[in-house]
Amino acid sequence: MKWLIPNFIKKRNEPLWIDSELVVVDLELTGLNANLHEIVSVAWVEINYGQIALQKAQYKINKDVQKLEQSPIYHGISEPEIAEKGEHLGAILSVLARLLDTKTLVCHNAPLDWGFLQKYFIQYGISTKPTFMIDTLKLEKKRLLRAQEVIREDQLTLPACRARYGLPAYQNHNALSDALATAELLLAQVSHLDSQKAITLRKLA
Amino acid sequence: MTHSHSAVTDVLNFVTEQLPFSELPVSCAHFFVNHTKVVYITTLNQSEVLHSNQKYLYLVRTGVFDLVDNAGEVVTRLGEGDYFGYPSLLTGEDIQNHLEVQTSGLIFLLAQVDFDYLRREYPKFEQHFVRAHKKRLLSSHYKERGRGWSERKIATLMCKKAVTIEPQSSIVEAAKVMQKAGVSSVIITENGQLSGIVTDRDLRNRVLAAELDPKVSVTKVMTHGPKFIFENNRAFAALHLMLKHNIHHLPVLNEAREPLGMVTSTDLLRQQKHDPVQLIGQIYKAHSYQEVVHLAKEIPALLRGFSNTVEDISFIGTLLSGLTDAMTSRLTELYIQQQGEPPCSFCWICFGSQAREEQTLHSDQDNGLIVSNTILPSQRAYFAGLGEFVTEHLVRCGIKACPGNIMASNELCRGTVDEWLARFENWIQTPTPQAMLNSKIFFDRRFIMGDQSLYQTLNTQLNNIQTQDIFFAAMATDTSANSVPIGLFQQFKLQRHKSKHGYLDLKTRGVAIVNDLVRIYALKCGVNKANTQSRLEALKAFSVLSKEDIYNLQDCWRFLTQLRFKIQIEELGLPPNCINPEHLSSLERHQLKEAFYLIKQAQQACVFKFARGSL
Repeated sequence: MKWLIPNFIKKRNEPLWIDSELVVVDLELTGLNANLHEIVSVAWVEINYGQIALQKAQYKINKDVQKLEQSPIYHGISEPEIAEKGEHLGAILSVLARLLDTKTLVCHNAPLDWGFLQKYFIQYGISTKPTFMIDTLKLEKKRLLRAQEVIREDQLTLPACRARYGLPAYQNHNALSDALATAELLLAQVSHLDSQKAITLRKLA
Repeated sequence: MTHSHSAVTDVLNFVTEQLPFSELPVSCAHFFVNHTKVVYITTLNQSEVLHSNQKYLYLVRTGVFDLVDNAGEVVTRLGEGDYFGYPSLLTGEDIQNHLEVQTSGLIFLLAQVDFDYLRREYPKFEQHFVRAHKKRLLSSHYKERGRGWSERKIATLMCKKAVTIEPQSSIVEAAKVMQKAGVSSVIITENGQLSGIVTDRDLRNRVLAAELDPKVSVTKVMTHGPKFIFENNRAFAALHLMLKHNIHHLPVLNEAREPLGMVTSTDLLRQQKHDPVQLIGQIYKAHSYQEVVHLAKEIPALLRGFSNTVEDISFIGTLLSGLTDAMTSRLTELYIQQQGEPPCSFCWICFGSQAREEQTLHSDQDNGLIVSNTILPSQRAYFAGLGEFVTEHLVRCGIKACPGNIMASNELCRGTVDEWLARFENWIQTPTPQAMLNSKIFFDRRFIMGDQSLYQTLNTQLNNIQTQDIFFAAMATDTSANSVPIGLFQQFKLQRHKSKHGYLDLKTRGVAIVNDLVRIYALKCGVNKANTQSRLEALKAFSVLSKEDIYNLQDCWRFLTQLRFKIQIEELGLPPNCINPEHLSSLERHQLKEAFYLIKQAQQACVFKFARGSL
């Protein structure tokens, strides 16, 4: 029987969603290619023990951005605004990295945001390695597949996912709005899973 | 930080559209947004909302929620832009309602400190919620809110720390202490123990009106040895004492009998809404027996609503016994008004379930009268009339006549202290089956009203003769004649009903056995209490039962009583107090078996102890 015990303990120690601290990140970019494009702004909100704490919400503009190209059409951040309110990306990302040391990263369409983050973490010599990463897009896709629905590309956008849970449409297209929108989406997604108490982070990742 | 403000515009836009924020400076909404937490509520996690240990103002962003009160009635339906949670933020009272999700959605939470900040900073904000609170109080559903207060512990109701003075103080000093503390009464302590109280009214009646020199000792005007209450008693007990003795102040003591504070009738009335406890007060004040009967008629209906809100359901037994006590007392006073003062001192006692405070709506009367040993034969007619009058009107009040005729209308249930003593002695010394049956009923007894010294004399003298071993052996043997319905392999032994389903009798084959066992030990140790739980509490001071056995019996009794009251309320179409184990959850079934098993063990131990295992 003894050989069973370590496994048992391991299982018991799996962090539960309700006991966890997460940080939901959204980036605004000049384009979709991590090799070519840059981060314009970074925003995050924290989810602690199943509650979004707006007090800790952060929104940072990257002062070091080189070429905005056509991107202001989407995010509406102009060059004067960057000059006035921007901070160095290295500083912004170190703050974020310290949060990620202890908290789980959440993004909508994580490969894109994580691709950019990783590139700049390496560039600025910042080390961080989040244990779990939760992708609300992937979660939604899994759920829809389980319901055996045929998925169209546009069904997985943040507003489309939110609409499915009756969450309000957000007008503002900026990183913080989207970070909050993603956080709310995650709460809704988790709430629709069975056996609330026992949901582990691993199950969401 | 200006960035983070502009960035949550979507939340800010929503909040600024809602009252009272729409009529307040934008900074108010900013504050809300920057201090709010967001949660998503579904049927799966709805129970975590409105937890009384964490109070919030809730603002619904999306979804539809029903606010439901303790009785299961919907107080209001909430949708986008609706607030809830503010009544307890405003009053500091515990949350009474819970949430039922109709459509899942987002809710914004604002903590109490942040709510209080906005209340202070923006008078309009406060006004809005105070008005909303009033409106809700007025709505018809909400009128019934707050029932169940009477089972709250005194400690949660009493205000202020004890205001005390030494007996050496003068009346002036007492008045000054009261003025400084802003209270209407002061406790006089001697060596830390309660010795008296002085109230505003005493200062008026016993000092001013009597033209007494206020420099004399306060002990001249205080009430010596006043009535008091323990911090762990329920509000109900305090109210009952106050109504019974027409007093407005009760010192609250801890277990070491040190004064902790004062509970006043105003404290209690503040708690009081509409509930059966209020009836007790009305019964004590009734002007005629017709009025008593009329009030008693309301009990069943009131109790049905009340029982849903009571957590410790065995409290209903206490409540019903309290009501019967009140009726007995008031009817007696009405008889005295009619027939004149009693020719000698007397008191009312009750037996059986009323004494144990286990009364149900189906319980019948078990009562009697003790009169002074000095009574003359010619004076007995007065008490025969009293017994007749009270028991007859109790029947009209809905408390059935006792089939065994254990009622004060029966000559054998009236008597002097010596006569009662002779009866008890007879049962103890010649333990016939009938005597055992009588012992079961008469040894559970409680004082109701009248001259308490008669009751105490009887008890003291009884304690001296109860040491007969043969009596205890007979009691123990008698008890074991009744067995728990459990078989060799932990299976329920079911009784059969006409309609063919099996059932278990929780009263006679469960609760009653525990009562019987505990009674034997209580008599053995001279514990003068009737309530089974109180007896077990008191037995902890003796070595006759181990602590573990006592805890086990307490748990068994509580479990069976809860189950019994539950089925009585649900009325499942079985004989009273009976249950079909198939209607129980598997956990309840397991607990029930465990309870029966523990009772069986206790029963065997008792026989072994008192009857030397003669079975």
